[in-house]
Amino acid sequence: MESYRQKSDAELVKFSLEGDKQAFGEIVNRYQGMVARTVKGMLGDSVFSEDIGQDVFIKLYYSLSDFRGEAKLSTYIQKIAVNLTLNEIKRRKRFFSTFSQKGNNEMYEFEVADYDTEEKKEARELVGKALMSLDPKFRVIVTMRMLQGYSTKETAEILDLPLGTVLSRLSRAQEQMKEILGKL
Amino acid sequence: MRISELKLLIIRSLDIDGDPEKGLRGLEEAGVDYRFSDGFRDKVLGRIASAGNTVVREMESVRNLNNVFSRIALTGVAAIVILLISIFMVQGSLSLDSFLGLGNSYDESLVYLLTGN
Repeated sequence: MESYRQKSDAELVKFSLEGDKQAFGEIVNRYQGMVARTVKGMLGDSVFSEDIGQDVFIKLYYSLSDFRGEAKLSTYIQKIAVNLTLNEIKRRKRFFSTFSQKGNNEMYEFEVADYDTEEKKEARELVGKALMSLDPKFRVIVTMRMLQGYSTKETAEILDLPLGTVLSRLSRAQEQMKEILGKL
Repeated sequence: MRISELKLLIIRSLDIDGDPEKGLRGLEEAGVDYRFSDGFRDKVLGRIASAGNTVVREMESVRNLNNVFSRIALTGVAAIVILLISIFMVQGSLSLDSFLGLGNSYDESLVYLLTGN
């Protein structure tokens, strides 16, 4: 595995397309943190989010041949992660609006890891609750900004949105976030 | 980091003019980071391997189906050829009437056969 760590993304993609599973494993290692922040940031920190995370890499594996290398591999993976997560949010919304009268709040779960200190647990819980209270169209923008550190231009590219839309949504998301945090 | 400080950090990280990297670092220092469980990579590779086996099994069944179909198709073609030859030998032609078994029938016989009168 050590030798794969030195390889570039393009080399890893090439080896993966030739059937080298270890090369694909290195792609998973390299980008699982990024995918975890997107998926868990938008869906909540639960085992179900982990399944979506796996789906992201499985979809990547079967669509690697479509990756032309024009954009960065991280952008390509991020797009898959955002799309699958938004689909999951829609699916859950449909499910809960059909089978539950309690609203959508119950669709998110928090499983704060045991290894965290009390202070870190509180911090993660606060961020998790605040994110889940946001409208999904704002949540995705906030996740890209706050948990991934993307600029508005990068966010617009990943979400396939005009820059103006991202800027206005970010501004509205900040207002909504102020309100939410005031109540927490 | 106190909760009030964290709230401020969250709001500032969403400033349009702010540095998103700085906000991210601040949150990471506060302990806001998400990870998948240990063995995540192996789980993904395991699912890909099992999905690969499913694909191989599907391909095998399609191939088997194709083999069966080609055998049935060949037997069918052979049966049709034999039928055509036998019709030609019995009726002396391959007209529509011969196919329908009406080669030697007169119109009156047909009316009798169909109506009973």
